[in-house]
Amino acid sequence: MAFILKFLLAILAVGLTAIYLRFTILLNAKRNKPLRHGRRNPNEPTHLMIVLGSGGHTTEMLSMLSRSVQDEDQSQRLHWNDYTHRTWVVSSGDSLSAARAEEFEKMAAPLSTQEGLMMGKVKRATDNGPGTYEVVTVPRAREIHQSLATAPMTSLTCMQACRNVLLKDTTTTREGHGGQAGERDVPDLILVNGPATGTIMVFTSLLLRFFDVKGVSTRGKMRTVYVESWARVKRLSLSGKLLRRVVDRFLVQWPQLVREVGGSVEYLGVLVQ
Amino acid sequence: MASSKTCFVTIGATASFAALIKAVLSPRFLTALKEQRYDELLVQYGQDGKELFETAVKGVQSVGGIKIHGFGIDENGLGRYMRQARGKDGQEGVVVAHAGSGTILEALRIQVPLIVVPNSDLLDNHQVELAEALSEQEYVVHGHLDNLPKALQDAEQLRTRQKQWPPPNSGVHRQSKSQGLKGVLDEEMGFLD
Repeated sequence: MAFILKFLLAILAVGLTAIYLRFTILLNAKRNKPLRHGRRNPNEPTHLMIVLGSGGHTTEMLSMLSRSVQDEDQSQRLHWNDYTHRTWVVSSGDSLSAARAEEFEKMAAPLSTQEGLMMGKVKRATDNGPGTYEVVTVPRAREIHQSLATAPMTSLTCMQACRNVLLKDTTTTREGHGGQAGERDVPDLILVNGPATGTIMVFTSLLLRFFDVKGVSTRGKMRTVYVESWARVKRLSLSGKLLRRVVDRFLVQWPQLVREVGGSVEYLGVLVQ
Repeated sequence: MASSKTCFVTIGATASFAALIKAVLSPRFLTALKEQRYDELLVQYGQDGKELFETAVKGVQSVGGIKIHGFGIDENGLGRYMRQARGKDGQEGVVVAHAGSGTILEALRIQVPLIVVPNSDLLDNHQVELAEALSEQEYVVHGHLDNLPKALQDAEQLRTRQKQWPPPNSGVHRQSKSQGLKGVLDEEMGFLD
């Protein structure tokens, strides 16, 4: 009896150690980045996921993206068609965020195509054109006046939806290999700010990486960037606290917050406009 | 309309802020407005502020000299009213607002002097910290409900050295390896060129 108990304990210890080691690899921000050959290599499709929330979060996200794609400093300008496919995630019922995402795409996609061709920096052969985008909906993690008792249930539903969205686009090539020209692959990058949906999306991607579903971990996919709200000067938001140790990059918009929180938190100036 | 000096007060669309509506419709504040040669007070009082607003307006009719009007919510945003308050040619006004970040950013972009009055009734009060930090850097005036006339004077000072928005981020990235949002996204994507 004692032997069996010891045996089980040993297995448990090994199991926990393995899980722990797996997480240290997953959470290492210096882990593998995808291997790329040029920014707009037609053989290497790129996929950016942006998670919008309601109200203020959507406003801030679009504000900083708009500022980036229109930056007068060429070295800091974000070229929207560097990403051949963009997935915008909105919560169900939030038609306003969906409309604003569409509006942004109409503004940003032609901007970098024409501009890039004119600059002569992008060869026609490697220019992917404006790329494609899609606005997808996931159920809300928590309704505004929902009781906390039912929150775990709705969070799970939201998580399931996030998983489906994250794995919506997969390639036909062998597992563990990159997609071919024109194909869509799982997101390379997930950009989130404050909303609960964004937090759940990041944790869902972490689970997928844990089990290396579709080779997302070995292929260096689903890297995560979190931007704390500009309204947060000295203290992190709840989403910020939850995500601080699990995202690859954690950006804040006030230097005070770097001193306060420390660690790998980065201040690169005000990002919104 | 074009030649009036306007003070535009907004409480935002989400929460009610009765204390701010009362404070700007007090005889003391109206007197201060007159001293600064304002001739218009425009109040956005939110979804359920109509009754409160109308009662308060009746209470200050004795002060006179200032046109007072208000509205609940405008779905087309507040930019129009902020630009009206910005005014021109010696008729430049001011915006008094709750500390919601969306409202603050809009006023900063429009470059109208802004008095931020945080709502102390809200539970998670990071808004006070935002107002303090911004007033320290002289982007806004941090107003207090019990002393708005003083804030109005400070706003005149602010007008003379209105700062550019968004602030240029040159210099910041020198201490960091990444340049702005684009730099971070590029690094994470593995774009090396």
